[in-house]
Amino acid sequence: MEQILKVEGLCRDYGRGTVTHAVDHVDFAVEKGEFVGIMGPSGSGKTTLLNCISTIDTPTAGHIWVEGKDITALRQKDLSRFRRERLGFVFQDCNLLDTLTAFENIALALTIRKTPVEQVEPLVQETARLLEITDCLNKYPYQMSGGQQQRTAAARAIVTQPALILADEPTGALDSKSARLLLDRFEAMNQLCEATILMVTHDAFTASYCHRILFLRDGSVFAQLERGDLERRDFFRQIIGVVARLGGDQSDVL
Amino acid sequence: MFSKLAVKNVGRSFRDYGVYFLTVAFGVCLFYVFNALETQAVIRYLARHPRSDVVGAIQRLIGVLSVFVWFVLAFLILYASRFLARRRAREMGTYLLLGMERWQVARLLLAETAVTALIALGVGLALGVALSQALSVFTAGLFAVPMTFFTFSVSLPALGKTVLAFAAIFLLVMLYHALSVSRRKLIALIQAERTNQELRVRNLGASVVLFLAGCALLGVAYAMLLTRGLLRVDALFWVMLGLGSLGTLLFFRGLSGFLLRLCQSSKRLYYKNLNLFILRQFNASINTTYRSMTVICLMLLLAIGITATSVGLNNTVEQMAREAQPQDVELIAWPEEEGDDLDLPAVLMTRGFDLSRRCARWAAFPMYEDEEGRPCLLQKDYQAYVDAWGETQAGAFLESWGARVLDGDGGTLVVQRWYFLADYAGDSQEAEDAFLQAVTDIPATGGYQYSTRLSTWMDLVGTKVLVLFIGLYLGVVFLVASAAVLALQQLSQAADSARRYRVLSRLGVSEKMRGRSVDIQVFLAFFLPLALALIHAVVGMTAANAVIAEVGRVDAAASSAVTALLLVAVYGGYFLATCWGSRRLLRSGT
Repeated sequence: MEQILKVEGLCRDYGRGTVTHAVDHVDFAVEKGEFVGIMGPSGSGKTTLLNCISTIDTPTAGHIWVEGKDITALRQKDLSRFRRERLGFVFQDCNLLDTLTAFENIALALTIRKTPVEQVEPLVQETARLLEITDCLNKYPYQMSGGQQQRTAAARAIVTQPALILADEPTGALDSKSARLLLDRFEAMNQLCEATILMVTHDAFTASYCHRILFLRDGSVFAQLERGDLERRDFFRQIIGVVARLGGDQSDVL
Repeated sequence: MFSKLAVKNVGRSFRDYGVYFLTVAFGVCLFYVFNALETQAVIRYLARHPRSDVVGAIQRLIGVLSVFVWFVLAFLILYASRFLARRRAREMGTYLLLGMERWQVARLLLAETAVTALIALGVGLALGVALSQALSVFTAGLFAVPMTFFTFSVSLPALGKTVLAFAAIFLLVMLYHALSVSRRKLIALIQAERTNQELRVRNLGASVVLFLAGCALLGVAYAMLLTRGLLRVDALFWVMLGLGSLGTLLFFRGLSGFLLRLCQSSKRLYYKNLNLFILRQFNASINTTYRSMTVICLMLLLAIGITATSVGLNNTVEQMAREAQPQDVELIAWPEEEGDDLDLPAVLMTRGFDLSRRCARWAAFPMYEDEEGRPCLLQKDYQAYVDAWGETQAGAFLESWGARVLDGDGGTLVVQRWYFLADYAGDSQEAEDAFLQAVTDIPATGGYQYSTRLSTWMDLVGTKVLVLFIGLYLGVVFLVASAAVLALQQLSQAADSARRYRVLSRLGVSEKMRGRSVDIQVFLAFFLPLALALIHAVVGMTAANAVIAEVGRVDAAASSAVTALLLVAVYGGYFLATCWGSRRLLRSGT
């Protein structure tokens, strides 16, 4: 299997004097077509880790390779290009542009990569079908429900066929039905398009859609859980077990 | 407790209040400078002259124009406070959510507005006094006005007028705030950042119709202007102005309605780089944009028109000086007793004006009066005039005095007055000084008068200075006002869309591309109104030149050059500063 992401000895410190190690010597790798989750209580360094991988934040030490390329060594100008061409993002607050319709939001990800004009419309339509948002393509973000907005953001992330899709608490602001729908689509993206997904969540139900889960505590990997051939329901129970051992966040499970 | 919160709020949201504060301070400064024209050294110099009635007329004109400026500033400040209210809507919503009464929140906003307004008024007035002094020194130097006329002065009437005008504007602002808090729903306040009130789907056909209607109205207004001329101020004149303004409004409304659709129809253009984002950005604030574009366009028209006309008129005045005084010197003396002889050249010679050295040519002759009281000139004197200045000049001389040529030697006729005409030789300023020295207190005459081309010229220069100064002054004021409105509008829009640019940055849009997107938006905002204003100005100038051409020659090249220079310097400067400021604002936001 081809290795898409490799993280080695990654550290991110905050503050001077009394230093906080938000991420403390983390190592892991993600292979092509994997759907990996990162879990942990609040303040465990999940989001900092994701920000480092998405090149929004710069690590204090360590290396990150995406498709064999060390992105910690990239310069500012190349970083923009790297983000544009190799990464896709889905955030909790979805980050759709409020002045653009859903269609245009998705198309923008293509036009900034200088995709040939005649390919834009078919690609957007195809992705919209996969994420089941064909009905609301001509709506503005504030005219759509939270779930539709999140699926539009997911469509925008995948339409460019990036090497890696990064999702930060994508279901954080959604009700359970919308969340299930979105995760369903994530699974479809993963299976039908062979999209590689790295998702940060603190919600055990959301995490149960993943193939593999890394548990973070105080900035380092505390445990790892593989789904294997387990049913989702059973995997969910396993996750809750680990979460219970981690302490905290119990309330989020229910 | 409320005043404490209000003062703290102003300090805390300084970045938001910064735009508002600058707008108000700038407005106060402009208004004061505009109304304190009498503190200008040039104006005071001119007021000393017999032309003070012109200065009075100018003051009245300023009074009328300052009403217009007041409307412009009220619009500008209300716009700025609307921007402020929108940015802080969520905060107001939170206060309400925490259980504050609506009137308490409104009072809080009023207190904040009052604090800012007071500080801005003080700063603006101080700036205004300083600016008008600086302007006075600058223009006094430009027009070579004696420095004795320059004193540091503050115009109290202008001060009072400014304070009153702004008190009225702040009342409007407070009313607006009070209404916006008491009438808006809590949900709208809380979600103010999410919804985009300006987004309204527009019918394409209606936009095209509006655009065409606007063009048609403009065409009618142009036709009226060109056939009726500029100076017939009657009911139809106001109809013409109304049609022109309405036409401009419809033009921009229509254009903004279908500009997006037009670009969308070309997929190759629309789906290229950030184009779709830029167009949507432009369209998002279209409702405010088309209105402000109309106002800006009309203000620019005023700026361009006033500047170009005054420069054109100025050169005409210079031409007039030449025609008014054909000789360098003209001295006319009346005899003390009837029948007395007066040898003007001899008198001048003995008083130190050396004719042979100072004059290239001269003529001295008596003017007789016939039985009917009509002035007449002897044939030999007329011939001397012709020899010195030629037939046409001599003819013009006779015509201007209504005199006829008399054959023979005057006979029994009485000499009515004696003439001395001359052109200087060598340094004309030295000759002028010598002549003026010689001509003071000539004894044994029944009175005399003289005029020199240099003094006539100086006199006309006074008029010229006035025309040019007032024209440039008003032109610059309107130009700066419109450019400042645009700059503020664009900067506040940049602040509003910082979040969108943050998203773009995360999506991997490079800083260069984002900067380009900002520049294009600023460019559209600055140059769409300018383009239409230029067309307006060309038509308007054609009409104005027809008026000036009746009086004298129009120097179209010079007036266009000066106007263009002013436009590029002021408008271009603001444009670049706005691009830079917007880029900075968005860079710090990511």
